[in-house]
Amino acid sequence: MAVSIAPKETADLSAMEDEAFRAHVRQWIEANYPSELRNPPKRLHWDENKPWYFKLAEKGWLCPGWPRQFGGLGLAPAKQIIFTEEVERHGCARTNDHGIVMVGPLLINHGTDAQQQEFLPKILNGEHVWCQGYSEPNAGSDLAALRTEAVLDGDDYVVNGQKIWTTLASDANWCFLLVRTDKNAKKQEGISFLLVDMATPGITVKPIINLEYHDEFCEVFFDNVRVPAKNLVGTPNRGWDMAKALLSFERIYLGSPRLSAYAFARLRQLAERMGVWEEATFQDTYGRLRLDLEDLKSLYGTFVDKLRRGETLGADVSMLKVFQTELFQRITDTMLEIAGENAGLLEPMEGNRNLNPTGQYIQARPATIYGGSNEIQRNILSKNVLGLPG
Amino acid sequence: MSQALDDRSESIRMIRDSAGAVAPRDGDTKRVRALRFVEPGFSRDVFAEMGALGWIGLAAPEAAGGSGLGMSEAVALTEELGAGLAPEPLIPAMLSARLLAAAEDKALLGGLLDGSKVVLTAWQEKADSIAVPGTGDAPRMFIPQAGGADAFLLPVREGNRIALVALEAAGSDLVLEKTMDGGFVGTLRADLSRGSRIADDVGAVVEQAIDEAALATAGHMLGLMEKAFELTLGYLKTRQQFGRIIGTFQSLQHRAADLKIHVSLTRAAVESAAAVLDDGATGAVRQAAVSKAKHRAVESGMYVLRQCIQLHGGIGYTDEYDVGLYLRRGMVIMNQYGAAALHRRRFMALAPEDVE
Repeated sequence: MAVSIAPKETADLSAMEDEAFRAHVRQWIEANYPSELRNPPKRLHWDENKPWYFKLAEKGWLCPGWPRQFGGLGLAPAKQIIFTEEVERHGCARTNDHGIVMVGPLLINHGTDAQQQEFLPKILNGEHVWCQGYSEPNAGSDLAALRTEAVLDGDDYVVNGQKIWTTLASDANWCFLLVRTDKNAKKQEGISFLLVDMATPGITVKPIINLEYHDEFCEVFFDNVRVPAKNLVGTPNRGWDMAKALLSFERIYLGSPRLSAYAFARLRQLAERMGVWEEATFQDTYGRLRLDLEDLKSLYGTFVDKLRRGETLGADVSMLKVFQTELFQRITDTMLEIAGENAGLLEPMEGNRNLNPTGQYIQARPATIYGGSNEIQRNILSKNVLGLPG
Repeated sequence: MSQALDDRSESIRMIRDSAGAVAPRDGDTKRVRALRFVEPGFSRDVFAEMGALGWIGLAAPEAAGGSGLGMSEAVALTEELGAGLAPEPLIPAMLSARLLAAAEDKALLGGLLDGSKVVLTAWQEKADSIAVPGTGDAPRMFIPQAGGADAFLLPVREGNRIALVALEAAGSDLVLEKTMDGGFVGTLRADLSRGSRIADDVGAVVEQAIDEAALATAGHMLGLMEKAFELTLGYLKTRQQFGRIIGTFQSLQHRAADLKIHVSLTRAAVESAAAVLDDGATGAVRQAAVSKAKHRAVESGMYVLRQCIQLHGGIGYTDEYDVGLYLRRGMVIMNQYGAAALHRRRFMALAPEDVE
């Protein structure tokens, strides 16, 4: 391997016993994570979450799953799972992590030595903050219909088109972009992967205000943007399979019970505050939600066990995304039902962020849409798992 | 650790394979249909075969003549038998074997374990309850397949203890009622003076045994839903309307995806609960695990079974077509050893919340 980046963490975490490793990670997170940012009600911007990103980077813990020669921790799946569990248990905010979970693995598997040398260190030191240019106005669920075009002109591709729902694009200085490089091929076979500097002339980013009154998502416009051809990853017109492989990360991540579990704990606090906790009708609803959550944890556990054994997850992981996100919504629906007129308040009740039924309710709405809508997940299940015909 | 896990999955695989002897993998329901409404509602020969295969004593200690396996194997077995719709009272027999092993009653236990004697436990005094008051003169209700019993076991309260009385079935006052699936349940009005007292105190054991039966019943429900769903998928892939295979219709595809999720949730709940019991959990942790699994199996099981009827349309409502057999059996077992609401209440009362 031509590329080698010195790992920051010198202790051999792989040699630790699992429970000692868990305690080590937990202690460090508790000592270093900013307490005011635990379980934030909204996705944080880079200026809010970068102190935590840099803490992780400085410790050498930014990329637990990357191999050590690329500057990661090279942890086996079982330890990566423990690491993730501890991050989730503490309620650490998701960082601008597209570089870590998407670009890094993409380049480690498909990048040239030069690409690895140029980009990986800058993810590790936080110099590059990445965003994901996938969806377009007319290519959402049907992502392969994307039309943003890249035409080779000398040593550059010239990119024209528009992306949308680009998460935190306004924070990013680099973008990994799906573009159409062959208009005549079958739609999945004319797509390529480009790495684009967001400072390139011709790129315009426009934030979209969502139902949370938040600007998490953006539109990104490309007007004759020149991208060096050396920034194409893998083989031209073969980007689709790489893109799909990266999406499988999202389906297990979005199937994690953490959002439902957090909302469920808040539901109890709200019920007590509203004086309905003891009511039999509420208790029955609460019991059903509780058991749905517990059984989701059991099902999630079966997938985590597969990862721990080093197996690759199949299309059936879509089940988790469907059930988790719909449970999250049912929990937050119940919050509104018991909140009285507080259901219409913009801010948390009584200035207490634990009593935030509207914030939780609104946060739950897009969960069934992003990461492949639940309708698409059900299509995947019916075709790829159950074998139902086209 | 991983060697132990490998051994475990190997013993579970062997149990599943051996179940094929009684519950044919191809879904042939001829045997099951022939037994419907013919007393006692099951085959004594098949029950004896279950004994010979070591199933009745599956979880009983080897020292007592059992197989010394655990709940992970038991739920795998009852799942297979559910998928095969076996009407034999294996779960009630396992419950009785547990009590007889605790009572160290070699004579009755031997006959039960080898399948030559059907011994059923008459513990239930009212509907929708898993409590064992042990009231001496109370009629004992809802004894599954009671018409085939050679002997009954009765928990009987004596002060603070629950003694166990064994009673010959012949000559007992037993009234049978037909069940929806072609079987029978019995109400026993026992004359205890005819019985023999075989243990002083089985109060704790009978509670544990009922929990194990509840979990095994959740496994049976899992088998019912798996098989009914398999039939339904087959139907969706072949039935044509409007010139198309109906499985191409997206509303039906999405329904099928939802049913798959419910089957998977149930499997995760049942198998994780079995692992909790096999790890030696006691008290509230053990009971909560059982309640979680039985609740899920009933809620998701009955949802899947009734949707399987719906997805078949009219043919699903005929007695001739097999899918209805699974719904009928589901109706019989759903509330045995505790309904969903009972287990939901028990889980909520027992399980500490993991509040952050």
